[in-house]
Amino acid sequence: MLGIARRMLRRPDLAEDAVQDALVLIWRRSHQFDDMRGSARGWIFTILRNRCLTMLRHEDRGEDGGTDPDDHAVDAAFDDLPRTLDLRRCLEGLEPDTRRAILSSYVLGHSHGEIAGRMNAPLGSVKSWLRRGLVKLRECLS
Amino acid sequence: MTGQVPDILIDEVVLGLASDADTARVEELALRDADVARRLEQARLRFMALDDTAPVLPIPLGFWDRLRDRLEDATPAQAARAARVVDLARARLRRWQGAAFGGMAAAALMAAMLGWTLLQSPEPAVVAVLLDADGEAVALIEGQPDNTTRVTLLERPDLPAGRVMQVWTKPDADGLPVSLGLLVSGRSDTLTVPGLPAPGASQLYEITAEPDGGSPTNLPTGPILGKGLAKEPVI
Repeated sequence: MLGIARRMLRRPDLAEDAVQDALVLIWRRSHQFDDMRGSARGWIFTILRNRCLTMLRHEDRGEDGGTDPDDHAVDAAFDDLPRTLDLRRCLEGLEPDTRRAILSSYVLGHSHGEIAGRMNAPLGSVKSWLRRGLVKLRECLS
Repeated sequence: MTGQVPDILIDEVVLGLASDADTARVEELALRDADVARRLEQARLRFMALDDTAPVLPIPLGFWDRLRDRLEDATPAQAARAARVVDLARARLRRWQGAAFGGMAAAALMAAMLGWTLLQSPEPAVVAVLLDADGEAVALIEGQPDNTTRVTLLERPDLPAGRVMQVWTKPDADGLPVSLGLLVSGRSDTLTVPGLPAPGASQLYEITAEPDGGSPTNLPTGPILGKGLAKEPVI
């Protein structure tokens, strides 16, 4: 959990805050968890990711620092996916920019706006080719 | 239902690209609509392998204490609100119940997180359960091939003042013990020692109580708190 939060928020103190917040939320909402509707793991990670996204987008607590660490984290995440995994195979089938954009949204919590800014592309175009990429990914994975 | 929540929106919610309003709407729908819940879960599962690529980080010192404080803080506040409508003795009782509940909550979360952390860690090459003189399990050792050693204390040892726990192993059964490091915080920790051969089955591990700063001779000098032989886990 700490690793996921650290990758999104960068700073260790913020990552610890996010994990602590998530654990408190998990405890308070434990009555809402229904194992018929999904795995505990998915539920826990979703709460953590949502907390990190809120910190990044609304509490101005994410740190913005250069592009290199981001690029490295995205590349490392992709490289660490098992070679036999469908997700990896299907991501490999996408255009490199599309793949990087999808990965940076999931791995780093980047918004459409941040992806557009980093790629120096118009927001509307980024949204539409991200959507096309997601459709392609879904088709490949189904 | 597919028309109500398009697949692309589900993907965007999972990736974190959807707006707050859309995310809240889809998550709320998932609570009522089993089909939306199933599709959301499937989309999450598709990307979840990326969570496994995050680095496994050690839990910072004091993490559990801070979490326990937060859980305890939250619950007495509820008891205090109740005190306005009940008599003082009852309020006091509730506050104690609240504190106990907070403690239990912290304990349950710690147990869940410990299991979680173990699940997320790379598979250990060896595992050893260290027993004290009475045969009680006092610590769990998990050794990685690179001799990164996770030490999970199963009991809080009764250490005299001025003593620290030191973890040892014998890579060579006929050789001398080698220090893997100190448990300076008195809590479970992960130790890393470079330059040792990969641990193997039947390798001895032990924890001794040594003077602060560690054994002066670099060999165990203090009383043995626990010892055990490693086994290779069946995975």
